[in-house]
Amino acid sequence: MGRLRLVRFLALRVVKMVAMVFAIVVANFLLVHAAPGDPASVMAGEAGAADPQFLAQLRTQFGLDQPLSTQLWVYVSHVARGDLGVSYRQQRPVASLIAERLSATLLLNGTAFVLAIAGGIALGALAARRVGHAADSLITVLALGFYATPIFWVGLMLVLVFSVWLDWLPSFGMNTVGADLTGLAALADTASYLVLPALTLGLFYMAVYARLTRAAMLEVASQDFVRTARAKGVPEGGVQRRHILRNALLPVITFGGIQAGQLIGGSILVETVFAWPGIGRLAFDALLARDYQILLGVFLVTSVLVLVFNLLTDLLYAWIDPRVEVM
Amino acid sequence: MSLLTVENLTVALPPGGDRALAIEDISFTLDAGEILCIVGESGSGKSVSSAAIMGLLPPALKVVQGRIDFEGRDLLGLKTAEMRLLRGSRIGMIFQEPMTALNPLMRVGDQIAEVLKVHGAGGSEGRVRELIEAVQLPDPERIARSYPHLLSGGQRQRVMIAMALALEPAVLIADEPTTALDVTTQMQILGLIKEVQARRGMGVLFITHDFGVVAEIADRVAVMQHGRIVETGPASEVLNRPQHAYTRALIAAVPRRARAIEEAPKGRPVLELIGVKKTYWRGGALFAPGIAVPAVSNADIVLRKGETLGLVGESGSGKSTLARCVVNLVHPEQGTIRFHDTDLRLLQRRHWKPFRQRIQMVFQDPFASLNPRRRVGDIIAEGPVAHGMDRPAALRRAAELLALVQLDAGAAERFPHEFSGGQRQRIGIARALALEPELLIADEPVSALDVSVQAQILALLEDLRQRLGLTMLFITHDLRVAAQVCGRVAVMQRGVIVEQGRTAEVFASPQHPYTQSLLDSIPGRHWLPPVSGTA
Amino acid sequence: MNRILGEFLSTFLRNKGAAVGFVVLALVGVAAATAGFLFPFSPWDMRGAPFMQPGEMDFLLGSDSLGRDVAAGIAYGARVSLLIGAVSTVVAVVFGITLGAVAGYAGGVVDDAIMRFTEFFQTVPSFLLAVVLVAIFSPSLASIVAAIAIVSWPPVARVIRAEFLSLRSREFVQAAEVLGRSRTAIVFREILPNALSPIIVLASLMVASAILLESGLSFLGLGDPNQISWGFMIGAGRSVIRIAWWMSVFPGIAIFLTVLALNLVGEGFSDALNPRLARRR
Repeated sequence: MGRLRLVRFLALRVVKMVAMVFAIVVANFLLVHAAPGDPASVMAGEAGAADPQFLAQLRTQFGLDQPLSTQLWVYVSHVARGDLGVSYRQQRPVASLIAERLSATLLLNGTAFVLAIAGGIALGALAARRVGHAADSLITVLALGFYATPIFWVGLMLVLVFSVWLDWLPSFGMNTVGADLTGLAALADTASYLVLPALTLGLFYMAVYARLTRAAMLEVASQDFVRTARAKGVPEGGVQRRHILRNALLPVITFGGIQAGQLIGGSILVETVFAWPGIGRLAFDALLARDYQILLGVFLVTSVLVLVFNLLTDLLYAWIDPRVEVM
Repeated sequence: MSLLTVENLTVALPPGGDRALAIEDISFTLDAGEILCIVGESGSGKSVSSAAIMGLLPPALKVVQGRIDFEGRDLLGLKTAEMRLLRGSRIGMIFQEPMTALNPLMRVGDQIAEVLKVHGAGGSEGRVRELIEAVQLPDPERIARSYPHLLSGGQRQRVMIAMALALEPAVLIADEPTTALDVTTQMQILGLIKEVQARRGMGVLFITHDFGVVAEIADRVAVMQHGRIVETGPASEVLNRPQHAYTRALIAAVPRRARAIEEAPKGRPVLELIGVKKTYWRGGALFAPGIAVPAVSNADIVLRKGETLGLVGESGSGKSTLARCVVNLVHPEQGTIRFHDTDLRLLQRRHWKPFRQRIQMVFQDPFASLNPRRRVGDIIAEGPVAHGMDRPAALRRAAELLALVQLDAGAAERFPHEFSGGQRQRIGIARALALEPELLIADEPVSALDVSVQAQILALLEDLRQRLGLTMLFITHDLRVAAQVCGRVAVMQRGVIVEQGRTAEVFASPQHPYTQSLLDSIPGRHWLPPVSGTA
Repeated sequence: MNRILGEFLSTFLRNKGAAVGFVVLALVGVAAATAGFLFPFSPWDMRGAPFMQPGEMDFLLGSDSLGRDVAAGIAYGARVSLLIGAVSTVVAVVFGITLGAVAGYAGGVVDDAIMRFTEFFQTVPSFLLAVVLVAIFSPSLASIVAAIAIVSWPPVARVIRAEFLSLRSREFVQAAEVLGRSRTAIVFREILPNALSPIIVLASLMVASAILLESGLSFLGLGDPNQISWGFMIGAGRSVIRIAWWMSVFPGIAIFLTVLALNLVGEGFSDALNPRLARRR
């Protein structure tokens, strides 16, 4: 992949991403206007709708008496400036509310993702290698099981077992309230709170990746170049690693990338169950209070995260697969 | 003392197959310095034999009995680890499909080095370069650094040979290594194998279905049918004085020059192609034009009533594209396609219907050319129904056609997957003839069939042509088939017709260098298959 | 036709997992259908003291914080799950097939436009989109079905488009073209019947994920307020999980069994449909 090609690829992708973000913003705008009721009261949320002064302020700010196209322009330019609206209930801009919780969500999702990918690929590869035997059956059954269970229920069951019955781990929050720890102790504290939620989110996607990896490896194992490798006298371990696994990773990256986008969406459920102070929890609270500005803001931000992640996934794929002609 | 001795080898198929044993009681020997060809059609068990020697049988196939003696040991008695040490170092193997035989994510040089490394023999860049040079690939540095997708089929097969020979094995097993290659490339690879074998005194076990290849390179031959060896012997004996009925039948099926000299047809042309041009664009996106691939550039053909014109060329020559231009499956950007008095290229889709009745096509792949979810009777009847015939009449017509192509009437109720390749091709022919066309375009109709079935289908086509007065445009890459079937022949190379004329003349004295090289590449061209007593 | 069906069923049932899944689904269906008969009262009725353990006082699976029968809730909840799962999948499949077929057959600009549209729905996190939609349009059976359908159709369109693209250049389709058949006949009688088999597998998996989606929505409080649903029951039990674990555990098991059964059935379909297509020579 030459330098110039890489730059052109990135430039093109950034253009596409911007177009997609624009489409999402427009979608948000349309949702606000399609909702039953007056757009101003939708934007104000349940709490703000009670305050006529606030409503009037919103109307002028967003030009709600103007034609639709002007309104769209106003809305888009607000978002472009980083202004995602104001939460009446919390009396703060949505953007800053999101910004302070983003790191917690990224921590949770990042940990869950690493867990899911590492565990999933390892288990899937093991199952594929021992296809038909006990290890394979066990892994396949477990994967099927976790795949069929609602994430929030898994979370609750883990709380039930590890927090209520065994009392090994805390059941909600991100760190011990009032403990005022610093440095390594703080990290260890947060880590203990991180275990259950990350496990909850991670287990479901670990099942997804395990099934994916297993299927991909079985598919690749029947291809001609694997036979060539064996005919050359390559030992089984080398065949599995250099030939089968490397090629099986390609579809795993593709599908895995798509799944990861859903992982971010699923974290709203996990954050709710564990009261993890991330943007998912923020969205849940906003849901209860019918505070739509926050909800739409979270929706926009998570979509942007998914877009960035997709870009990274595509770059990874292009780097690994020499057949991809990066334009 | 033979290099490799196989004795009474029997391998079982999993239950539910069409027979119990893949191979039964197979015995043969391979000496150093000789090429033994194992010939057979699909399902004869030839590939299973070679896989058994290498210890690469799929887990579902079990060895029931036998010995394989190699360098003083019984290969079947070896442990997995011991067998692995032999593979690649003492016995090398190359396979049929070069396009999928290399790991797409590893550089070619690394894959060659791998065979050296796993046997503890180094794997330096210099050694890899030497090996690439030894298989006559130019620019070995570039090849070593390349990924497989940048190489052609012929180049990839040479790389495979380099990998198989890297450690100078005593035996090379070649499982149909040239079947998927163009005829000119095939000749080069056969030449390479012969040269390498002579230089190193290896024993080569060469598996093929093509008697021409056998004639070209074999020292000894073993013929397999239904899992058994039916005849063995020196090549000159088996090829010219075949003993077993099956061997005789196979050799009789090899297409040969037709006896009858046809007189040149007269009259107005049925089909005329003038200056046809079709270009494909590869790649290309916003702000970046793609690369133009000229599939057909300048093709002129005249076809008169009752003639069979052969369009001959290798893959990428444009012959299929040209054929598809005539039936509007492909839209050329330039040229005239005159059918009687109409220029077909200028017709709109809705004006094509009457011409559909007069121009029909038989396709290459018998497995993809029939809708798997329709019954055979419906498949044949659909054409006439689309042109206004009522259904009962169309089904009656389908029954007649099935008889014409020598299938029983009960076939109309069955589904395509219940038939063999040859039978499906007959159904495809029946479908094409249902509309009683004048012009039949046959796009490689026998290329996907076994040689004995091929002979039957060619005979059928010839019979139908004479009976129904068809004019045929016959596309093929196999010069032997063209020689047997076509009165006139047009040779295509990279989208251009380089030579055309009466088959006998073109074959006897080719003018264009490409035609000459094509004819020189017919394997076993100096061998004249004996005229057999039995059919 | 009977023979194909017979062949299909025997391969399908030979797959033990699929058979088990089928039985479980049948049981769930029976529970949903006979809920009114087994529990001749509304699941919202207070039937006794709150927080009764499973087995106490006629409460087979216990009672919740308002004395409602958990077992009744599960039986009536089955209706909601199956109904929403089935209807939203049908809507998504119809919409997806239409868009995918148009994109795959037409090609060119039309294909590009439809693909960009599909990409949009595949990029945004689907659960969040469903939450937003249901929140903004007020939770009701209709809005939930619509929201789930809206986030579920893209894979259908992708699969159908891929099938169309591959089938369009398959020789039997070319043969139909050369025979002079009309475009409609080619699409509906040649291409579509062959493109549908992956959809059967996909559809059963989609019903499963629709049920998971619905349970997530009702867990968050976005379920139809008039219908009792499994996710809602789990959500209601969340705050009192320390004292009434049965309120959360049993509805979860119900979801797990139903979704698992659907997945097994889907895999059974996949196995049954593929060997026939792969059978050659």
